[in-house]
Amino acid sequence: MDAPPPFSDREIAFLDALVAEGVDFLVVGLAAAALQGAPAVTQDVDLWFRDLAGPALGRALHRVGATCIPPTPSTPPLRAGAGTELFDIVVHMRGLESFASEYRRAEPITVGRVRVCVLPLDRIIVSKRATGRPKDLSILPALEDTLRARRAMPGAEGSDR
Amino acid sequence: MATAQCEMKAAGGDATARALARLERARAICEAEPDATFENVWHALILLEDDPRDRLNRSLIRGRAAAIQR
Repeated sequence: MDAPPPFSDREIAFLDALVAEGVDFLVVGLAAAALQGAPAVTQDVDLWFRDLAGPALGRALHRVGATCIPPTPSTPPLRAGAGTELFDIVVHMRGLESFASEYRRAEPITVGRVRVCVLPLDRIIVSKRATGRPKDLSILPALEDTLRARRAMPGAEGSDR
Repeated sequence: MATAQCEMKAAGGDATARALARLERARAICEAEPDATFENVWHALILLEDDPRDRLNRSLIRGRAAAIQR
């Protein structure tokens, strides 16, 4: 029997709760690139939040029976509970503008039943290039080629909305 | 039975036609963009035919498999 897909209805329910509670967030990193068609491999889904301290995130977590573990000097903020383990919280994106600026140019993509805001591929390329880490630089050709494919494919840009 | 065979042939024909169209598109992109790598463009075009959630699941499944192999 096939294993259930990692991004299941539980993960969709968490995204749904974030949207329902009015939490502003962006899907970033290689999960965002994969959503836009990049042949990229990742182990988690990075989310960049406008406001981690506001009550809306807590309410969204509560909706799905999860909770937030506050950050310590040595650990980032973490979530605990079904449907949230796959997600990582990102507090800073290297090479990018403010959350508000990036949010304005976000790509809306429908994942399951939820429409989420995703960092556009060209901005993911900027952030990966800015980190300068070998693992980020090595994926750049695949991301750039995906951008070329999307631009050449009639209707690809905006087709996921 | 005959109907099922006809449907299978039609489905296979559709898949072949789609693959040929994709091949043509990938070649055109690589001709227009000399820095592009055919394999990347080809895989991106395949993924762009999928639903976004399926694209993400493919990426996560391969990410897990790669982590297990390390």
